[in-house]
Amino acid sequence: MAPPPEPAATASPTTAGPGETVLRATGLHKTYRGGMLSRGGAVRAVAGVDLELRAGETLGIVGESGCGKSTLARMLVGLERPDQGEVTFRDRPFFTRGGVPRDIRRRVQMVFQDPLTSLNPRMTVLDIVAEPLRVHRLCADARALRERVGELLSLVGLPPERMNRYPHEFSGGQRQRIGIARALATEPDVIVCDEPVSALDMSVQAQVVNLFAELQRTLGVALVFIAHDLAVVRHVSHRVAVMYLGRLAETGPAAAVYGSPAHPYTMALLSAAPAAKPRLRGRKRIMLAGDPPSPVAPPPGCRFHTRCWKATDRCAGQEPALEPVAEGGHDAACHHAERPS
Amino acid sequence: MGESPVLEIRELHVTFTPRGREIHAVRGVDLTIERGQTLALLGESGSGKSVTAKAVMGLLDQPGVEVRSASARLGGRDLLAMSAEERRALRGSAMTLVFQDALSALNPVLSIGDQIGELFRVHQGLSRKEARSRSVELLDLVGIPAAATRIGDYPHQFSGGMRQRILVAMAVALEPDLIIADEPTTALDVTVQAQILELIDRLRRELGTAVLLITHDLGVAAEVSDQVAVMYAGRIVESGRAEELYDRPAHPYTAALLAAVPDLDRPASELRAIPGAPPSPALTPPGCSFAPRCERASDVCTGNRPVLAPLGTGAGRYAACHHVKEMLDGAPA
Repeated sequence: MAPPPEPAATASPTTAGPGETVLRATGLHKTYRGGMLSRGGAVRAVAGVDLELRAGETLGIVGESGCGKSTLARMLVGLERPDQGEVTFRDRPFFTRGGVPRDIRRRVQMVFQDPLTSLNPRMTVLDIVAEPLRVHRLCADARALRERVGELLSLVGLPPERMNRYPHEFSGGQRQRIGIARALATEPDVIVCDEPVSALDMSVQAQVVNLFAELQRTLGVALVFIAHDLAVVRHVSHRVAVMYLGRLAETGPAAAVYGSPAHPYTMALLSAAPAAKPRLRGRKRIMLAGDPPSPVAPPPGCRFHTRCWKATDRCAGQEPALEPVAEGGHDAACHHAERPS
Repeated sequence: MGESPVLEIRELHVTFTPRGREIHAVRGVDLTIERGQTLALLGESGSGKSVTAKAVMGLLDQPGVEVRSASARLGGRDLLAMSAEERRALRGSAMTLVFQDALSALNPVLSIGDQIGELFRVHQGLSRKEARSRSVELLDLVGIPAAATRIGDYPHQFSGGMRQRILVAMAVALEPDLIIADEPTTALDVTVQAQILELIDRLRRELGTAVLLITHDLGVAAEVSDQVAVMYAGRIVESGRAEELYDRPAHPYTAALLAAVPDLDRPASELRAIPGAPPSPALTPPGCSFAPRCERASDVCTGNRPVLAPLGTGAGRYAACHHVKEMLDGAPA
């Protein structure tokens, strides 16, 4: 029952050594220009993000609603084309003139938040999971296809004999497993998961989190795990990136970011997270004032300065760059970052 | 003590009867909340927690729903003996409800001032002008900046957190005996959630209101509640003071939930997941509803439904489990 001690490097024993970089994002920008009703306000969803994902590791991305984490996810799988910047898969660019090359699409898959709306209700589970196999012509004939789908379903813990059923006949957790099986079908190197467990009941959430950890252990797939639940992200991730209004506020190894956060926003997030421990009530907490500002008009200078208790004149005028605060790739974008001494 | 509890419900049953079928959403729930106290009703989707809240508010008096209870008292008033009219007058003044989704709970075509003011005009017969000045006071109380100038604004002009503050303001406007908060922070971001929870807690302390907090989040319940009642498949399976219940869960379901939630401070290598999924309210297993997913389940569990019984350990703790003793002794399953 007693959980093993720190550190968090949970999911896989083949931990983030200097594995080879599979996915790299440089200087990503994405702005959504509104229609007639938006009164000319353009939403700057992602405004300059650099990321690196190494083979076999899990990169967790946390942030509040509107911080651009979903837009970032969609760019990382090529569903959305960045206005500026580039995504590369094993040093090959994603966005070529002819669209994303098919073999890259095959290697980078996605799991969506809502398992009910991301599965076609009129397709059987067999068809859903077989679709990527058909598109990429990975199975010779119908028999091989069925066999492979059965294999995939067992892999994610679903009984293969239910492959002729429809999504509505499954529970929420099982539907999410179907989505995961579909993502695994093409034997990807990278799976980007956008809030994969937040629609699930808490007793089911743990099953799916454990499934991701196990799949990574056995298949060695690299994961980008996007969520707003800090504890879940800590649990699954080797490295973590904290986003605020379209930019990275802090990034580094999970144990470092959670153990000694350098950016005031990370501190506030960790402090605000409700703990399932009534005895901790009345502890000193950092209370941020107000809501996150709108991404239509992000504040000048440091985007966090309007809610930050450390903010000075410099923060209002000059945007801080992401700079190392400690060894091991722990970076923060703050003029007043805490540095472990 | 002496004082009678703010809310006292005995044996609440709610049955939905769509097209001849019978779905027992709530099967015999007892609730007691003292003045100035917060009770968290904790449960997963389909456990019947929101239905319980709506039944208490009297929002289920409609065709196709059958609500029964042995007794229902709000601050000494007998809710069962009342006419529909009388209960209607209590809603909004003696007991109020804070909804999860503030945008759909507020009327988009009325200004905030009109919506809050309506409470004073309908329930207390105040004039427009008086109602307006009381509304400004309230918005101040819940921390809306520049309340006097924003009173004429419409819901869409406020952020999510501000809208939730407005709902809380409306809930406390007439100084009710009881506030029912149905997942009040689920739609909010972490940093804003902390603000709203603190606000509800502050108002409870300052105004002495009782709060019934409906939530699925173990963390949220731990942050603000004095008492916790855990619901599973339409029944309360365990209740007690928050500290004791979290420290020494007496029901395997509570223990399993606590083990399934990742801990921010102590990451474990593997979460202890509960197998299976919560039962559908239309099809609950016989005997103990949790038995099919329980690691301690034995023959007696599948045949016999355990009743919610007081525990020997301390005042006010109840659990419905045949294996309570092993649970409290910490015997391995």
